[in-house]
Amino acid sequence: MTERTVADLLAAVVHGDHTAFDVIVDRYVRLVWSVIRSFRLDGETAKDVSQTVWTRLYVHCGKIRQPERLAGWLSTTAKNECVRVLREQRRQVPTDMTDEWALGSTPASDESIVEDEMRRELLEAFAELSADCQQLLRLLTADDDLDYTAIAEIIDRPIGSIGPTRARCLDRLRRIMVRRAPTGDEVMDSREE
Amino acid sequence: MTKPQDWNDEELLSRLGVVLDDADPVPPEVVAAAKSVVPRLELELDVDTIMAEVVFDSASDELVGVRGTREATRELTLSAPGVEIELVVLSDGARRLVGQLVPPQTGTVELTSGQVVRTTHADHLGRFTFLEVPEGPIRLSCRLDADGQVVQTNWLVI
Repeated sequence: MTERTVADLLAAVVHGDHTAFDVIVDRYVRLVWSVIRSFRLDGETAKDVSQTVWTRLYVHCGKIRQPERLAGWLSTTAKNECVRVLREQRRQVPTDMTDEWALGSTPASDESIVEDEMRRELLEAFAELSADCQQLLRLLTADDDLDYTAIAEIIDRPIGSIGPTRARCLDRLRRIMVRRAPTGDEVMDSREE
Repeated sequence: MTKPQDWNDEELLSRLGVVLDDADPVPPEVVAAAKSVVPRLELELDVDTIMAEVVFDSASDELVGVRGTREATRELTLSAPGVEIELVVLSDGARRLVGQLVPPQTGTVELTSGQVVRTTHADHLGRFTFLEVPEGPIRLSCRLDADGQVVQTNWLVI
């Protein structure tokens, strides 16, 4: 089965095809959610913003000029809504999302304990990063369709700065992990295949 | 198994993606709510849809000639609260439908004929055109950009 293009899907929605909208939601819901969460909104507010974005898409679905750039349209719409909500809330301290995360919630049944431990370490190291690094890395992992152009737009930085900042943030993350797990090597080595 | 210090940027990022997905997945209710947007808005839209009634039709307002003859041009005016749609059906050669929103404004215009739905845009002067319009009943629906109001016509035989 060939994948329907975004342009086809949007046209189908305009013509009353509900299932086409569902396909778009399935395709991009993770991207939208990642963008919203990258702004460190709490869970409830994030859900409201998400709903606003999808409502806006439906209302505008006949007017998206560049369907192939839908990821950019969605992320920009999400960003604008996040900025608006944050301004309204006039919050000084953003929510520390990592508090809400269920660390190690996934049962280790079908995964090695070492792999599990490494994930926990990675997440905890991520939580130590600056807010800006957390946001950038979160966006970089969100969706392949979210390119540097879209990311630069979301974080209000020149597109040329994304690559270097990405390298710097990943380097920091790597160093935090190494620092945090000085004894981890033994565990890992013993499990090595 | 490799150690964190050995991971290159791509591997680190891809591992981070998996971890973040696991720690902060899209809540199922967010997906469900997003998918509920269409049926909910359509319901609202139905309430907000206003009907445009035919207030002028050259085919019926003119003296009736011999039944069966077709005028090359037929003009219709449809009126709804706040907006009128003027239509001209040109039948010289390929049949086309030329429309005008009054007052002039942009919008998305849908032409339904049989099972076929076609969409076009009214430009800033309120003009829109559909080419090669088949004979038979048609129905127009226009979503005005200004306020999102949907203006719909009843079935018209052109």
